[in-house]
Amino acid sequence: MASALHTTDLRFVYGDRVAVDGVSFAIAPGEVLGLLGPNGAGKSTTIKMLIGLLRPQAGSIEILGMAMPQQRTAIQSRIGVVFEEKNLYPTLTGRENLAFFARLFGRSDVDLDHLLERVGLATRGRDRVSDYSKGMRQRLTVARALLNRPDVLFLDEPTDGLDPVSARSIRTLIREEAERGVAVLLTTHDMYEADELSDRVAFIDEGRILALEAPEQLKLRHGQRAVRVRYREDGQVKEVAIPLDVAAGGELQALMGREDLLTIHTEEATLEDVFVELAGRRLE
Amino acid sequence: MGGRANAVAAIIAKDVRLFARDRFYLFISILSLVFFGGLFWLLPASVEATAPIGVHLPDLELLLEQRGAPPDALDDGLDQAGEQGLEIVDYSSSRELERAVADGEEVVAGLDFPADFLDRVAGGQPTTVTLLLAGDAPEALRPALAGAVRELAFTIAGEEPPVAVPELEEMVLGVDRSDAPLTMRDQLRPMLVFLVLLMEMFALASLVAVEIAQRTVTAVLVTPARIGDLLAAKTLFGAVLAFGQALLIALVTGALGHALGTVLLALALGAVLATGFGLLAGATGKDFIGIVFVSVVLFIPLMIPAFAVLFPGTPALWIRALPSYGLVEVLLRTSGHGDGLAEVWPHLAALAAWCVAVFGAGTAVLHARLRRM
Repeated sequence: MASALHTTDLRFVYGDRVAVDGVSFAIAPGEVLGLLGPNGAGKSTTIKMLIGLLRPQAGSIEILGMAMPQQRTAIQSRIGVVFEEKNLYPTLTGRENLAFFARLFGRSDVDLDHLLERVGLATRGRDRVSDYSKGMRQRLTVARALLNRPDVLFLDEPTDGLDPVSARSIRTLIREEAERGVAVLLTTHDMYEADELSDRVAFIDEGRILALEAPEQLKLRHGQRAVRVRYREDGQVKEVAIPLDVAAGGELQALMGREDLLTIHTEEATLEDVFVELAGRRLE
Repeated sequence: MGGRANAVAAIIAKDVRLFARDRFYLFISILSLVFFGGLFWLLPASVEATAPIGVHLPDLELLLEQRGAPPDALDDGLDQAGEQGLEIVDYSSSRELERAVADGEEVVAGLDFPADFLDRVAGGQPTTVTLLLAGDAPEALRPALAGAVRELAFTIAGEEPPVAVPELEEMVLGVDRSDAPLTMRDQLRPMLVFLVLLMEMFALASLVAVEIAQRTVTAVLVTPARIGDLLAAKTLFGAVLAFGQALLIALVTGALGHALGTVLLALALGAVLATGFGLLAGATGKDFIGIVFVSVVLFIPLMIPAFAVLFPGTPALWIRALPSYGLVEVLLRTSGHGDGLAEVWPHLAALAAWCVAVFGAGTAVLHARLRRM
């Protein structure tokens, strides 16, 4: 399948600091790619180049068969962006915010009520954004990104700091868009979210991609599966993790035979563990 | 409508809405119109002229004493001529006196006595005193000074004047405005118009800075709208807003009664100038405090020409070089002196040149700032 987004050897340097150094990846239509890395790893610079806010100093970007930044206007009419900051006009209502951006896209036919309903703001569309909670503002930025029925979505920390209900509604929307065939580039600090939503995950650190694979593959390749057993001994609860490759051995067998066995769970590596394994440090 | 025009129209409509909902800027816009308009009508509509007079007569007091005349005979002469409150300033040469009158900073008129004035008057010989007048010297000064010279001659010669009235030559240095002294209203009119323009400069600067600080501008720039669309929209919105407000205050203060086309052109150029400075301040100020700081830094020098009008004489060269000088002069000369385009076009040309420079700088700096977002 032809990729919706393809980058080759992207590079960007701020002064003497290399922010992005030879980044290459592709996203297929309907695929969600999670771009994970600590602060300053190069995620935001990469996204800025992809959405046309920064001109790459080297490398190439192709989105929907068009070159960025040469065909920037045509590309931008077919992409949607959710920024980390809730950059909305606070003195306009939610509906007015959407109507303004719809005009910029030349889309006067957009059903704003339906869009507001999709993000759970149907009853608050005529309220000023200054009266919205953080979660409502974030949902409105997601609605704004969907105004032009984009073919590629760029989501920068879309659920950062949200309550679980708002975060879940946004994840549902992302999944619905991906099922519609939209290619999604997602950056997040939330490893659970990345694991849940991403078809593939790219770990980026110091401007370079360290690994790019499906979450399961990454965890299998770089993490370690284990069996975690809790049991009672001498009146105290004890816990032991036995690596799965040796779990079939005698230790697990012995524990299984105990009468005071409490719980037994299989356990797999997290994406956080994988990053630590690859980069030698934690994500935060 | 084309894509570009549609984007510009959308941004302007949004900015109008944002401006209308910002109570602070709406308040200061309305307040400035009411306050400045009211202030104008509270100012006196007539002129009360008193002026310092320069005199060149070598060794005046010594000569008067030798002739037996009191040392303050000239002052007495001026008083007897019916003119109160005139201040006499001595000059040591004709050239110095002429330069001082032309400069207009210290004196508005001068009496240049010949070196043999006292001898000739006392001896019954005819003599000539040169009366030097600045272009904006009050009309009433001419007969007063002529009378003063005659009184001085009578004082020196005794009760019965032995000679005919000394001959007096009159030289007007610069444009003769002695018959049209400016009232406080006339003098303050350019300042009021300019203050309103500066208020709008501040409002536009704030609108731009808030858009940058809240990063809504980045959301706009990832749509098909371009930086050029944003600049065009901000320029149109700022210029129309500033022009509209300036037009209202000009109407209230009666600035539109003469040379309407010229005044409208000056107001339009003034609005573009204010917009240029607004874009500049908006691009450089990071937040509200930053905008206030940058605006004040720009505000003070721009107000100087409007303040300079309140003082007699021709403004210094550096004041005439300031961007706002052309606007102030055009408003002053059209509504104050009744001049038309033929007289004020050099000031309009200078204002237009400043508009190009300031607006160019404003858009360039904002463009660079937006590219770095």
